[in-house]
Amino acid sequence: MPETKPLAEVELSIPSRPEYVGVARLAILGVASRMRFSYDEVEDIRLAVGEACTRSIDRLNGGTAEAHTIRLRCLIDANRLTIEVRNPLLKSPPKEPSPDPTSLPEGDLSGVLIRILMDEVDTEERPEEGVHLLRMVKYVAR
Amino acid sequence: MNLKVETRRPREGVAVIALSGEADVYTSPRIKQEIVDLLNNGIHKLVVDLTGVEYLDSTGLGVLIGGLKRARERDGDLKLICDNLRILRIFEITGLTKIFDIHRSESEALEKL
Repeated sequence: MPETKPLAEVELSIPSRPEYVGVARLAILGVASRMRFSYDEVEDIRLAVGEACTRSIDRLNGGTAEAHTIRLRCLIDANRLTIEVRNPLLKSPPKEPSPDPTSLPEGDLSGVLIRILMDEVDTEERPEEGVHLLRMVKYVAR
Repeated sequence: MNLKVETRRPREGVAVIALSGEADVYTSPRIKQEIVDLLNNGIHKLVVDLTGVEYLDSTGLGVLIGGLKRARERDGDLKLICDNLRILRIFEITGLTKIFDIHRSESEALEKL
């Protein structure tokens, strides 16, 4: 969690449907491109956000057609970009919940990618807010 | 950007699936369907050409892994063509370069099938 107020914030909400993951990727491409990241770092962030949204869709939909809302919040600082991916904390757990990306279970390609591409990754459940949160940080190289 | 899937049969029992665009959670079911259809039609030696792919995520990787597994179960194989460093990096960081044969050209991939 950033200790000070970020220089800028960008928020985006998308339906938890596969066709909208590309919208989130485009948005984060725009945000990261305005910071001092290299081309490869921007691509890493774009892929990590795509993976985070895909995990949210897997987690939320669990094979059902019901769409929920995935909220992305980008906190822009001079030396880092923090991206929070929030989605509803479901009352009944999904049939096959996505593994925690901070662990490295075999076969969890999505989690592996997020962990490698970003500098910091953590997840949090906030029952009082009814929110599942995935937070990722990428630092600008000095 | 969406995904374009074009399949050719360079020789008997062999198919080259050329992908261009984005292979992600939205488009990957089309790739899976193409691979499954070819395998069900007795074409067990597949080459997936990723030269035109600009974006590949874990869902796309999963479909390729599934295709390789299904092809090998039928005594076939699935080879990849890729010269995009960004895409190659995704295979490297996930350790999938140990599983897939990745070639720089179609002729090289077909020769190894």
